Amino acid sequence: MFYREAGQFKTSYSADQAIFPIRQDRLGLLLLGLVAVFAVPALANNYFLETIFVPFLVFAMAALGLNLLTGYCGQLSLGTGGFMACGAFFSFKLATAFPELHIVVVFLLAGLGTAGVGVLFGLPSLRIKGFYLAVATLAAQFFLVWMFNKFNWWTNYSPSGVISAPPREIIPGFFVTGNEASPAAKYVFLLIFVAVLALIAKNLVRSRTGRSWMAIRDMDIAAEIIGIRPLWAKLSAFAVSSFYIGISGALWAFVYTGSVEALAFQIDRSFQVLFMVIIGGLGSILGSFLGAAFIVLLPILLNNAPAALGIPLKVELISHLEFMIFGALIIFFLIVEPHGLARLWQIGKEKLRLWPFPY
Amino acid sequence: MYGDKHIGDTLLKVDNITLAFGGVKALTDISFEIREHEILAIIGPNGAGKTSMLNVINGFYHPQQGRIMFRGAERKAMRPHLAAKQGIARTFQNVALFKGMSTLDNIMTGRVLKMKSNLFQQAIYWGANQREEIEHREVVEKIIDFLEIEAIRKTPVGRLPYGLQKRVELARALAMEPDLLLLDEPMAGMNVEEKEDMCRFILDVNDEFGTTIALIEHDMGVVMDISDRVVVLDYGRKLADGSPDEVRANQDVIDAYLGVSH
Amino acid sequence: MNATATRFGIWMALVPLLIAILGLGLQGLAIIDTSLFFTWGYFLEVLIAGLLQGVLYSLVALGFVLIFKASGIFNFAQGSMVLFAALTMVGFIEMGLHWTLAFILAAGVMVVLAIVIEKVVLRPMVNQPHIILFMATIGIFYFLDGFGQTLWGSDVKVLDIGIPKDPMFVLPNVFEGGILINSFDLVAALVGAVLVAVLAVFFQYTRVGRALRAVADDHQAALSVGIPLKTIWAIVWSVAGIVALVAGIMWGSKAGVQFSLALIALKALPVLILGGFTSIPGAIVGGLIIGAGEQVAEVFLGPLVGGALQDWFAYMLALGFLLFRPQGLFGEKIIERI
Repeated sequence: MFYREAGQFKTSYSADQAIFPIRQDRLGLLLLGLVAVFAVPALANNYFLETIFVPFLVFAMAALGLNLLTGYCGQLSLGTGGFMACGAFFSFKLATAFPELHIVVVFLLAGLGTAGVGVLFGLPSLRIKGFYLAVATLAAQFFLVWMFNKFNWWTNYSPSGVISAPPREIIPGFFVTGNEASPAAKYVFLLIFVAVLALIAKNLVRSRTGRSWMAIRDMDIAAEIIGIRPLWAKLSAFAVSSFYIGISGALWAFVYTGSVEALAFQIDRSFQVLFMVIIGGLGSILGSFLGAAFIVLLPILLNNAPAALGIPLKVELISHLEFMIFGALIIFFLIVEPHGLARLWQIGKEKLRLWPFPY
Repeated sequence: MYGDKHIGDTLLKVDNITLAFGGVKALTDISFEIREHEILAIIGPNGAGKTSMLNVINGFYHPQQGRIMFRGAERKAMRPHLAAKQGIARTFQNVALFKGMSTLDNIMTGRVLKMKSNLFQQAIYWGANQREEIEHREVVEKIIDFLEIEAIRKTPVGRLPYGLQKRVELARALAMEPDLLLLDEPMAGMNVEEKEDMCRFILDVNDEFGTTIALIEHDMGVVMDISDRVVVLDYGRKLADGSPDEVRANQDVIDAYLGVSH
Repeated sequence: MNATATRFGIWMALVPLLIAILGLGLQGLAIIDTSLFFTWGYFLEVLIAGLLQGVLYSLVALGFVLIFKASGIFNFAQGSMVLFAALTMVGFIEMGLHWTLAFILAAGVMVVLAIVIEKVVLRPMVNQPHIILFMATIGIFYFLDGFGQTLWGSDVKVLDIGIPKDPMFVLPNVFEGGILINSFDLVAALVGAVLVAVLAVFFQYTRVGRALRAVADDHQAALSVGIPLKTIWAIVWSVAGIVALVAGIMWGSKAGVQFSLALIALKALPVLILGGFTSIPGAIVGGLIIGAGEQVAEVFLGPLVGGALQDWFAYMLALGFLLFRPQGLFGEKIIERI
């Protein structure tokens, strides 16, 4: 009833190309932004910020990166964990070697470094496709984690192999990493940082680059015949995707956990992010966020629901059940709705447009 | 009405092309030329090597022997995206659209080679990139008008009926503003009405934009009606080459199509 | 078939030469860098241990090839099928059953599992792109891992069906102290060989085998001549399940039945890349190369970079291989059509 676009006419192509062409969507987003920036840090306690909101944003970033590569360009990668490790260790080396460097610059540089590594491991994608490529990205996964684990130059010779994020301010007096950083500060910083990068991702996918990626995904031969260079399209997807994933790894190490070892980025991390993308929706920016929220919330729900219902379950059993539920959900989504939660959201909106008079 | 158009010099010349897969010869010693502004039909029974010929022309297959001259210069080490850059566009026998994208986005991909903004400008979007997007959108909208597909602009192409998909594919090829347009069975699987529409579009493209067209088609009525010249292939060899009337009178062609007792 | 056989012969003839070159290279390295250790006896010992290990990789890879050949699906869950099968087998033995009975029951469970997978996962996804099906098998991978451990617990379990595990020393006259070979590995290699032979006969000479090859060639065409696609798929997944059970028993007896089995099975992926996804001999040869390669690299090159080369060596080898021969050693080159 309230969600109607009647009377809103587009009079120019730029209005038609806007991200949110419908006025109610723009208002909704504005409201969501205000709540996220002001209400959430004020109302949520530290536990919620640290166990839900902060990891959600970090994972959303990783899912966004993988979605650009897998959802938009159609190149399946199982190396997400390895690339996150790159971002974490690159930013650690940069931050400790150049303490005067601003933390955002450190993150961006770490992202660029990871993009380089991504391109390197993306090179085989020029000759191989599909699951062949997935196996090639497994090589990146295992090799990178091994490298960060084995050579303690990366950890500045820390005997435990664990790196701890040095304290850094985003603006003077406002710490976002290290012990002095408050969860609220971390959250607001992440929110803005991730929102800006998500906007950039959206801009890319609605421009020439994004269309080239999708063309390669949907039919690579036809794409090449209309003049898209597969080399450029695939490697740029690997580069941009790894950039995002690298930054998410850096955020993981610096902002979310504060200290981390290479083994935190093993293959299950890759699968975790892949599941976010599948459940959230392949080829959808919004889906990356929905998927990340889903996968962050589900284990918390599983851990608390049985106790709340008065059914005591062993921790071990819960973790096994979690595996089963994830597996079953993946299959369910692939069968029923390959475009994931994002598509369900869209269908919901379509329905809302007609509500309460569907005919 | 279309008889007064000016057919120019040779645009593309195929010279003694031989293509083999392993031991199987798909094309043997084929030579013909495509002239500027003409409509050339390539016909022949199934398996004659017509599609292989188009694949060679746009650089997807690499012939073992022979050469291809485009605008008087010999092409070497051709890849499909390089052929596209030189101005060769193509539609496919089995529609090869980008199924996950809307009609509009599909046609916009045809503009890829004409767009110049870099990755950084695209990331920022506002400014140079947006101006460019709008500029190309206007071109694409003209093509959409031309082919009368305004209503399906925002529809994902996977949901469109076959006939419309073929039209969108033609639109995507036109968006490249090609000099040479290769159409692989543009009317296959269409009903009479759709065929008539498609014929009209092909003639209009040829007439209004002066685009050179080489097409493969099985419907002889259509071929004889719209083409300026016809090349006949059979078992990977060229049987005949000439105006529709000449080809129709050629004994080899009649034998190949009607069968001959040995 | 003939071309494959010829290629196979050429490669076999080259093998001793390649091994000799590899040995000489490593010997040279050991001379340059004194931290490395090399003797020919030790080299052969490591090589043989690696080859025997490779047989186990091949066993897992075999399951992949079967399913890929019949349905074009790259079954990522093969590893978790190995784990699940082994867990089930141990579970039955712990109930006090004799291992032969436990084997038969576990095989039965794998067949039921195959039928369920066919009904619940494959059938609704019949026309999806392969990459989507691949992701679905990742879902199966997760589900089975969780399911197996929910049913049978996640402790490391001992699986002993009485395979001798004594070390043997051969050729003591040629090499100082002889070459150490584990008799268990030999038995495993033998079992692998028998399994391959049985499968080869099954595919070549039975009606089901012939139908299966038809399905592998062209689903539509096979359907149109009356081959029941669904049944064939269920059969293939069953056979792959039983192959997984055998692999699980071998791995489980060697290293204990535990969660890491599912991950060891990931090593079968580079084996497939090397051998080609559709070739049974490829799976064997690929397994042998990966097994021997990573063992030799670990022992003779590991000290240079601090060890644990095994974590990634197989994948990097496969990656390098992909760049030069994407279709694998025995795979067919695909001509793309448009």
